[in-house]
Amino acid sequence: MSDALRHNAYVYDSTEEYIERSVAFLREGLGAGDGAVVANTRPGLAAMREALGIDAARVTFVDVSAAYTRPARTLASYHAVYVNELRSVGSLRAVADVQLGPEPGEWDEWVGYEAVFNRAFEHLPAWVMCSYDANRLPDRMLEGVWQTHTEVLTDDRLTDSDRFESPAELLRGITGSPEPLPGLRSIPVGRTLESFREELARALVAEGVPEAKALDMLLAGTEIADNAVRYGGGVEDVRVGRDRGRFVCEVVDRGSGFDDPTAGYLPPRGGIAKGLWVARQLTWRIEFFHSSRGYTARTWL
Amino acid sequence: MAAEAGDASACRQLVEAFLPAIAGIARAYDRGGGVERTELIQEGVAGLLFAVRRYDACLGTPFWAYASFWVRKAMQELVAELTRPVALSDRAVRSLAQIRAARRDHQQAHGGEPTIEELGRATGLTPSQVESLLAIEQTPRGIEEPLRGDDEATGTLADTIADPIAEHEYDDVLSGIEVEEVRVLADRLDDRERTVLSAHYGLGQSAQTLTQIGAALGLTAERARQIESTALAKLRAGLAEPALQPLESRGS
Repeated sequence: MSDALRHNAYVYDSTEEYIERSVAFLREGLGAGDGAVVANTRPGLAAMREALGIDAARVTFVDVSAAYTRPARTLASYHAVYVNELRSVGSLRAVADVQLGPEPGEWDEWVGYEAVFNRAFEHLPAWVMCSYDANRLPDRMLEGVWQTHTEVLTDDRLTDSDRFESPAELLRGITGSPEPLPGLRSIPVGRTLESFREELARALVAEGVPEAKALDMLLAGTEIADNAVRYGGGVEDVRVGRDRGRFVCEVVDRGSGFDDPTAGYLPPRGGIAKGLWVARQLTWRIEFFHSSRGYTARTWL
Repeated sequence: MAAEAGDASACRQLVEAFLPAIAGIARAYDRGGGVERTELIQEGVAGLLFAVRRYDACLGTPFWAYASFWVRKAMQELVAELTRPVALSDRAVRSLAQIRAARRDHQQAHGGEPTIEELGRATGLTPSQVESLLAIEQTPRGIEEPLRGDDEATGTLADTIADPIAEHEYDDVLSGIEVEEVRVLADRLDDRERTVLSAHYGLGQSAQTLTQIGAALGLTAERARQIESTALAKLRAGLAEPALQPLESRGS
């Protein structure tokens, strides 16, 4: 097996089909000495464990029923699982069953997650087969299969996708322009990161943000402000407030900004790019955009 | 109470003393399949230990009357998690919270159940979104399904869930889901690091300067700053290289 990621998918119509395809895929890998991972909710894991029989002892089963909360967290969860597995084997195969909530508003985000997966895991010697339940998942997600996987398993063979889009291109397509939030108010910028945190903490307390969440925002805000100082020529303005119930913090810097929609989604390697990864782990969403005030990082807690 | 202070031996004794009562509650949730009895009891014990940390004897509430709520709640959450047909995203959780709040407001204002359309107008969600979200709330077990003890009917699942506090606390679970990860994160700090961070940034108390914090801890301001810096670095490192979660099991 090559030492780079293979990220493929198949769509199944029944549990029997899921079991048959997944077991064949994993057994082939086990025969070649690969590690094996099955990610699913408990019923799916139980069915796979039974079907694998004695081979189940060599497979890692991962309950992902609580893993699909936000793309950044889902990426971190899977990354931790795969990296852990690769500590004991040279390469691995995984079957990951896609889990989703019912809200149409979030489906694009999860298509984006599948796209980012190609970049985020490209350094891992893993062959990941995403399985999509045709009876449970919405059409948008099923269409996304061909946009986010280079090859799709159909009729027992892998078919090249002619609709595959680069992760950055796809993310740009599904990310709308952030709307202005006139309700936010400016707070003092602070001369140091410590004074920035002190001002931000006052705002969090004033807005009644719970202690644990406030600590999240302080950590994430520190990373964003640190980035602005290091790469954006310094912090020009900090605006805070609530919008639709969430605490929002905008950090405007003096630089020209950057154009990488995958920023913060790629697991840090060798100490590089930790800051935005950390910030995304701690918050609901971060948007980067140019506004009349300057290049802006808007963080939603 | 020694257990309140975290005394491991006292906690063990407490668990042993209340294990029969926890098992009794577990029996009520153990009828529909899907969740194993040992898992229920484990969650119940976790609920008991959580109650120990929050219990205030000065309020005069008997300990078990207080703790049994947290035991039931821990089991409820496990049952809800393991029998929920789909995983809930952060956005879905938040939308569900909006729907619950809108429903409560409507009931208070009008005294009756809101329609799907009314919930949609109040939350900004489309009627089909509201319907979808309400549908996933329904676990495979019916809310009015009879629960049975060893020998006789003991009421319904709704009876078990719907005590006055539980209604309120169940709503709180929604934000609890979001803060769970952070609580684990903060657990990586030692007491002194937590104290310095909380005091400096006014988290749960009035904000203080590092000089004031240092004085209270018998340290210099610079030492307090170093402790804060170490704490922040520790949290950052923990997030940059996420701990391997105990989600996994190899083989059976």
